[in-house]
Amino acid sequence: MSETAVVEDKQQVAPPEERQAARILKWTSENGIFIFTAVLIVFALIFVDGFSSLINITDVFHRAAPIGIVAVGMTFVVISGNYLDLSVVAQVATAGVILIAVSNSYGIPLAILAALAAASLFALVNGTAVGVFKANAVIVTLSTTFIGLGLLRFFSGGSIFFGPPDGPIRAFGLGKIGPVPYSAVVLIIMTILLSLLLNRTNFGFLVKSFGVNEQATRLGGTNTSLVIIGAFLVTSVAAMVGGFVLAAFSNTAVSNDGVGYEFEALAAIIVGGTSVFGGRGSIYRTFLGVIFVSVLTNILVLFGIGFGYQQVALGVLIVLAVSIDALGRKVSKR
Amino acid sequence: MRKSRVTFAASMLAAAALTLAACGGSDDSSSADAGSEDTAAEETVEETVEETDDGEAAEEEAVDTADGPFEVYALLPQGNDQPYGTTYLPPMEETAAELGINLTITNSEYDADKQASECEVAVAAQPDGIILWPAVADSIRPCLEAANNAGIPVWITNADVNPEDTDLTFGYSGTDSYGQGAASAEMMCEFADGAEIGVIQVNGLTGNSVATLRGNGFKETIAELCPNVTILAEQPGNWNKDESQIAASEMLTSVGPDNVQGIYAADDTMVAGAIDAAAAQGLDVDGLIITSIGNTFLGNPLVESGDLDGTVFQSSSWDGENAVRGIYAAMTGETDLGRDDAGSVLYMPNPKVTAQNYDDPAVAPEW
Amino acid sequence: MSQTQTISLGSAAQEGVWGRIRTVASRRTEGRGLALLAVIIIVVALLEPLVFTAYQVTLGRIALVGIVALGLTAVILMGELDLSVASTLAVSGVIMASIPDLTLGIIAALATGLIVGMINAFFVSVVGINSFIATLGMLFALRGLAFVISDEAPVSLTNKDVGIAFGQPLIGPLTPRILIFVLVFIAIQVFVSRVKAGREFFAVGGNRQAARDAGIPVTRRIFTGFMISGFVASLAGVINTLERTTADPTAGSTVLLASFAAAIIGGNYLKGGRGSIVGTLIGAAALGILQVALTLSGVQVPVQQIFIGVILLVAVTTDPNSLRSVAGSLRTLRQGRAKSPGS
Repeated sequence: MSETAVVEDKQQVAPPEERQAARILKWTSENGIFIFTAVLIVFALIFVDGFSSLINITDVFHRAAPIGIVAVGMTFVVISGNYLDLSVVAQVATAGVILIAVSNSYGIPLAILAALAAASLFALVNGTAVGVFKANAVIVTLSTTFIGLGLLRFFSGGSIFFGPPDGPIRAFGLGKIGPVPYSAVVLIIMTILLSLLLNRTNFGFLVKSFGVNEQATRLGGTNTSLVIIGAFLVTSVAAMVGGFVLAAFSNTAVSNDGVGYEFEALAAIIVGGTSVFGGRGSIYRTFLGVIFVSVLTNILVLFGIGFGYQQVALGVLIVLAVSIDALGRKVSKR
Repeated sequence: MRKSRVTFAASMLAAAALTLAACGGSDDSSSADAGSEDTAAEETVEETVEETDDGEAAEEEAVDTADGPFEVYALLPQGNDQPYGTTYLPPMEETAAELGINLTITNSEYDADKQASECEVAVAAQPDGIILWPAVADSIRPCLEAANNAGIPVWITNADVNPEDTDLTFGYSGTDSYGQGAASAEMMCEFADGAEIGVIQVNGLTGNSVATLRGNGFKETIAELCPNVTILAEQPGNWNKDESQIAASEMLTSVGPDNVQGIYAADDTMVAGAIDAAAAQGLDVDGLIITSIGNTFLGNPLVESGDLDGTVFQSSSWDGENAVRGIYAAMTGETDLGRDDAGSVLYMPNPKVTAQNYDDPAVAPEW
Repeated sequence: MSQTQTISLGSAAQEGVWGRIRTVASRRTEGRGLALLAVIIIVVALLEPLVFTAYQVTLGRIALVGIVALGLTAVILMGELDLSVASTLAVSGVIMASIPDLTLGIIAALATGLIVGMINAFFVSVVGINSFIATLGMLFALRGLAFVISDEAPVSLTNKDVGIAFGQPLIGPLTPRILIFVLVFIAIQVFVSRVKAGREFFAVGGNRQAARDAGIPVTRRIFTGFMISGFVASLAGVINTLERTTADPTAGSTVLLASFAAAIIGGNYLKGGRGSIVGTLIGAAALGILQVALTLSGVQVPVQQIFIGVILLVAVTTDPNSLRSVAGSLRTLRQGRAKSPGS
């Protein structure tokens, strides 16, 4: 008799208001990024003069493209549960310098090959250290950043390289379709391709499952080292393309390009809703996260807000976005 | 677990022994191979280290002769990580070789704490002289005092210390960032010719001393000389062309492109980005008054084509060379502590470069 | 008749001094860091003996990174991360310099560190965000705050003489910074090894649920840990600002990743539960000595960077776990090949 009473107690349903609030919170945490982005854009269209001008939309895309390409690639590393790839900074700069410096003397195809070689090297070292040696990704990629930047500065001498003013690289950087610059088109194409890679291929599935449960994936018999190397390779290729796009936009390349990209890309990924714990996430969400951060920065500049306040806004935003996500997950567990 | 740790320790000792053995046969310049980063870089570094040490040992005997080889530490806040620093170093090293000076160069990447630590190391090494390019002038006094207490002459290069600290130095050679900003402002005022115009301002990296000084130099000179010019917006371009282009474009959108008649950027790389932004917004670049600083490989052609109306020449080679000449003068007793001597202040001229003189070889771009 | 089977006892059960030493040694995590430090010391002593003859300079460099790294370790032991230390350092310095009265300024700066720690802990334990992200957000926000308060330019101390005096050697050739570093080390080490609350950090890091079940007030420990990290970071900011006589809002950028490196080299596990403060000390010492030696060697700066990167990479890929897993993979590979079809 008493047992049934206990069971009944446990099955007592929460009051309707609480259930409603929990449902809303859960829905917000899962779809937050879509809502926030939409709200932000609507806000900008109404209150910010000049936001909707063609030029400004192009500017937002110019902001979003290089960092977005890097971010959608780095999502693979994040989903695999390896926090982030700090060396994207070195990789973006290296790719840009190789593109301009090598193409000036030897033509573009050779430049692309050289850049691919460099990207593969980064991926191999990062991936092997993290996948085979099971070392911590943060420190490994920190060390490859030092090595990469050191090598870049040593070989390039720190000089700034210029592309020819009428060359194909410049033409790519200036080209656009309506208000959408070619670089953004590249971003969109990469988002679609990488999303297919993550969700439709065995490789993508393994990356996700590695992030969810490392042990189980390993026991399942796959060679997880190759999976990790693969995840870093995706990031490296994306960083390379990002470096190309950046160099094309300004038709210059120098070894301190891409400063700050590692944390900005991570912020976009997290704001988009991909979990740092790994396992959950999507490339489309990262894309939205990048758009959101770019639009926000754009709005702040249009309002004439100084750099210090911009940083504060970005930091608060990150914490807010993740808080809602965390609260939503907590609530849904109840 | 114990076994692998013993193995590790043994292999580390073996590696150490190997590298020590490798040091026996040095030479070759350090061209680290990208493929074999590990051993190649380590061995090369060890070799170079061994070389320098042998060199130092030999020098210590000869250091007391009046013109003997000198040991000099150069404490710089940039080097191969910036285009200017990249072209500052070779003339510096050449002049040093010419005058019989062994240079040890550091790069604190504008981190004041790192530079202070490097200063401590330098003072402990007891060199014959120190070349100092302050990362943050406000915090450099303790370094100067330490060097003075150790009897090491200090020559300042590129960015001068604060007026109250000049007595601790033997001299200064270089330009002054504030003055560069002012010169750029003077050109802006000249071209504005009394008209009421609005300009946008693109600054360097936030918090960087050069950026702050140039920014203030520009703003304050405008306010003083031609209040008819109004600065409508300012944002950082971080010394990058792409960031500057986006920042300039957004500023133009924000204040309205029709309200802008002039653009100022703290260096030529950024002004190139700003010019692209103006062109993309459909503005007539020729009709705008655009000034910046540097007269670099990027800026000079822009002056030639008429897009850039005025820039200020900065010679990295003059800077690097005179830093070494300055410390040489200090070490050989030609100049003394303080700024009273004739040769203790060498100002790099801030020649303005406009359409009139852009092809003058005296202001040929260097970086 | 069944054979009597004898069980041989492992080394842990061996009597005698050697047995006990081996037991203790196998549980310690600092072995790798110690080996690296030994190698560095030997090589540097032979090539750049000035590093040791001018030891106060080297100690000063170790203290620069080490103070922040020690506080950070408290958080790492619990399995959390604190990326905000760099900005906490900067904003504390700026706050201190902005207040004309020095004592009040120092108190305000240290209070800032504690408050930042509380905010971090709140987001991590109450809201439940991953600490990497929470402190990343704080890294941005506090940096922005430092720029806003300082108006993007360095802020000078009103009383510069105190700052200069602070940089002078106090006991022998040791400056106040080095002495404070030693005090911080002793304090945190004692806390983590002797004080019950500190020892519980390991449990919180090792298995949080088990710690909770065991009755450890996990939330309170997390608050303590982050407050230690924040306080120590603001202390570093105060020290730097005094020595420089100016607060730089861009300060701290090199310290962040260097402190992590020091903690990892010293054997601390980022997932928490294992490690030690002594290990961080060893890691900081290794990095500091290496950096000073490289500066003295006059080697080109990019090459120095490559060198440090390589050492870091080697140090982090050669810990017992890594080597074991590589050996395991190789073994599986060999076993796979050994099996021939039809055998």
